[in-house]
Amino acid sequence: MTTGHLFTLNINGETVELSAPAGHTLLDVLRDQLFLTGSKRGCNQGVCGACTVLRDGVPTRACLSLAIDCSDFAITTIEGLAEPGETHPVQEAFAEVSAPQCGFCMSGMVLVAKALLDTNPHPSRDEIREALSGNLCRCTGYIKIIEAIELASEGIA
Amino acid sequence: MDYFCPQTLEEAFSLLANDPDARCLAGGATLMAMMNAELLSPTTLVSLRSIDALKGIVASSEGFRIGAMTRHHEVANYAALDGGFEVVRLAAGEIGHPAIRAVGTIGGSIAHADPAADYPTALVAADAEIELSNSAGQRRIAASDFFEDFFTTALQAGEIVTAVHLKSQPLMNVSAYTKIARCDGDFATASLAFCGSFDNRTCASARVAVGGCAATPIHVPAVDAMLVGSELGSETINDAAAALADACDPIDDVRGTADYRRLLVKRLLPPLLERACASRAG
Repeated sequence: MTTGHLFTLNINGETVELSAPAGHTLLDVLRDQLFLTGSKRGCNQGVCGACTVLRDGVPTRACLSLAIDCSDFAITTIEGLAEPGETHPVQEAFAEVSAPQCGFCMSGMVLVAKALLDTNPHPSRDEIREALSGNLCRCTGYIKIIEAIELASEGIA
Repeated sequence: MDYFCPQTLEEAFSLLANDPDARCLAGGATLMAMMNAELLSPTTLVSLRSIDALKGIVASSEGFRIGAMTRHHEVANYAALDGGFEVVRLAAGEIGHPAIRAVGTIGGSIAHADPAADYPTALVAADAEIELSNSAGQRRIAASDFFEDFFTTALQAGEIVTAVHLKSQPLMNVSAYTKIARCDGDFATASLAFCGSFDNRTCASARVAVGGCAATPIHVPAVDAMLVGSELGSETINDAAAALADACDPIDDVRGTADYRRLLVKRLLPPLLERACASRAG
């Protein structure tokens, strides 16, 4: 048995008390302890972006974040983007243009889009591409994803 | 594995002294990836995130002090790094992707010492000094001496990279950075960094470094000397580029062959100098 360290995380607005080995990543804790499986484990090397969560609103790799080192941050996962049973406008825009294909990269893409539009409500196409540059879509559906973000942007005053 | 999050450098030094297999955790962009790949399993992690002395950029008449915990995106957006310092800002903006630049730190990047990373090459060209500290005090070492081999630095057991110092440069200095990678955000197949000055189109001073083409960034004083006094577009510039490529000692790997890397170095230097020259005021 590995020794558990006790610590708290702020996840989707709730304070969660945890006991986990110090070496566990935020992604390990989200998926395996809290069963928030919307964050995906792709490469586990910070390259693919499928595990992206927001840390104080900033897109961050959950696989490269030590869980115990995240206690000062407000973490938002895809599950926390809207109330249960509801959808965030960015998610609606993604559905509207059929941006999801296999869906594996979607939680990371949607969170990156949300963070972009929070800081820059009307991004140019280049700014959208730059924001998405760290998120890989193996179905290569990037065009629809960019269109979805443009559509979500149009809904912002 | 143990985890500590000290508030001061002194606490961090004593934690490192207690366990020779302890590792410092900065942004995590590299260390966590290595732990995930099971290349490294430290017995103790000392998180540096709460130590204020490691944070932020300070400008003074002597230049800039960039704290080791300064994130890549902070450096990439620090507009005062212009002229001869701009190469460091440009290199920071080329590292990985936005989500990586939001967490990765300059101290973590250089302590890892991947010769294909962006900072080492830029810091050698800028003739930066690396500040290393332990409980006995502080020392500074030139970037070109800090990088000793693949993933190997002059950092001694128990020492922490605490800052990078960019010494003041003549006002007329300019700089430029270029990188060829397989795709956006990847490590360099080859990268070149230039700091120096021009009198019209004649190079008046030069310091060139190459990344991704040897175990450490390559800096060849004889090549710098060939450039000084040479006019852009002249044959001497091409000769210097060829000499620089010859001085490299690249390997064949997934990012390219050794021959391809030498070819890149030879072809990238002349346009890099053109760009640096064109960046002069106005």
